Amino acid sequence: MGLIPVADNYDVLVVGAGFGGPVAAKRCADAGLKTLMVERAGVPGEKVVSGLVIPIYGFLFGPDFIRDGNPPIERPICSVVNRMVKGGQIFDTDRSLKVPKPVALGYATYCKPFCTWLADRAVDSGAELRTATTAVDVITEDGRVSGIVTDSGERIRSTIVIDSGGTQNQLSIKAGLRKKFIPEAIELYMLWDFEMTKEDVDSVFGNSMEFFHAMPEENIGAPLGYGSTLYFFTYRNSIHPGLGQFLVTRGETPNVARLLREYFDNFTDKVERWKREIAPRVKLRSVLWDVCPIYAGLLEETREMPIYGDGLLIIGDAAGFEASAFGDGVPNAWFSAEIAADVAIEAVRRGDISRSVLAAYEERIKAHPFIMHTITDFRRWDMRRLLLTRDEAEFKRKVRDHWGIGAFRYGNMGGPCMKAARDMIKQNPTVIRSWVNMFRRYFKNWENESFDRLSTDQR
Amino acid sequence: MPKTFEEFPGVEWVEGAGEFIKIDEDKCSGCAGCVKVCLAGCYEISKKKARIKSLEKCMECAACWFVCTEGAIDFSWPPGGTGYRSDWG
Repeated sequence: MGLIPVADNYDVLVVGAGFGGPVAAKRCADAGLKTLMVERAGVPGEKVVSGLVIPIYGFLFGPDFIRDGNPPIERPICSVVNRMVKGGQIFDTDRSLKVPKPVALGYATYCKPFCTWLADRAVDSGAELRTATTAVDVITEDGRVSGIVTDSGERIRSTIVIDSGGTQNQLSIKAGLRKKFIPEAIELYMLWDFEMTKEDVDSVFGNSMEFFHAMPEENIGAPLGYGSTLYFFTYRNSIHPGLGQFLVTRGETPNVARLLREYFDNFTDKVERWKREIAPRVKLRSVLWDVCPIYAGLLEETREMPIYGDGLLIIGDAAGFEASAFGDGVPNAWFSAEIAADVAIEAVRRGDISRSVLAAYEERIKAHPFIMHTITDFRRWDMRRLLLTRDEAEFKRKVRDHWGIGAFRYGNMGGPCMKAARDMIKQNPTVIRSWVNMFRRYFKNWENESFDRLSTDQR
Repeated sequence: MPKTFEEFPGVEWVEGAGEFIKIDEDKCSGCAGCVKVCLAGCYEISKKKARIKSLEKCMECAACWFVCTEGAIDFSWPPGGTGYRSDWG
């Protein structure tokens, strides 16, 4: 039962070279599996949009090669500054979430260079990469997925397919495993990329990222019942403000396209910090948007959708592993990629890819210290409720609990980090040295701009 | 040469994407959800049905597809290497 002759072209086929795909591909290739990544963009990451500070737990407890490597980062983020806005004035600033340099809470990065760096590492390990290739369907035989069909009609066979195709998740739907996310789970976010000299970013923001929170009537990104906070990601020579809005709230679709622009215009028209300290120093470089399944884990309907099937494992945003607290799914993409790779390696080695073997994927995802905790974090939901009830004092307190010092006490930076750290140290005490080295090396790399060369640099 | 638009700096659209989003008029209820969530202005309502004006500024986010509970919008990725790209995502 479930035994199949190993006559396939590839052992593992990874669909999508964003943040998760290359991690899975590298791990499979390192284990000697014949591995192929297909990516619809011409260059990995150039179709990935995310205002992005990757939380530190991804680096501490994710893939060793990232922790021990030299990926291109834009800025180490050592503190989160929460500003409460009323009438365009900042009336309260919370700086309680901070760590001393070179320790960081996360690293800011652009998607394209980081995803390219990840894909380069997978290729170094022997995985093949086909860019400008869209997977349009799965090959299904005897009820199991056994490969993909590309946009040129080519059929590529593989023992196991890993779907890391992102939120829009075409492949797992084609395979009949999942449905598209319901719109209540989806946030549409818009980003503005501004050039700003490093000296100016250093003096205005330092190694901080900033959130601007307000009661709904301010209309700067947190209107009644809708949307979320306006945030500033800080990069090396640029800043990256953005805001998001849910596609459906209380059964209705607001005019998201108009509102996102209105909030940002209101912010830049009204808020003194922007007008005085930031606007004179910046030049608009890009405007972008995308969606993410930020509430997928909070809604039973989306949380309970299958994450594996016969011959198919689903990772990252495609599986709904988006962190609702910080709105950043990259660590979960990395964690789930490693788990999927391990399950695939085990299955291929045993020559048994039956559902019962692949079921280990779901078991390990559910036992992971971060994934389920981060996708089911209801505090962001609670904050929307406080906006509805206009309880400003309680909202302020929740901001502090959520994105201030409370992140250590209640959030992802607290319990799950402690548990993961304890487990890893018990297994291998020298990991502490790797963490210390990582903090130092990442900071030094950032100061000296001494990252690994990318395959795209050599062209 | 990839296309660019002043309204969306720092983004390029590589030609050849084709009609990767389609509307099934029979299923469309004319609710205009797609119009309300499309930042690229791809949609309009004409004779109480959604209609695609142009996909030339589409950033492939699929918000229209997610919001269409009637299942009237068929979304698939454009062919590899076509459609939008950016260095600043």
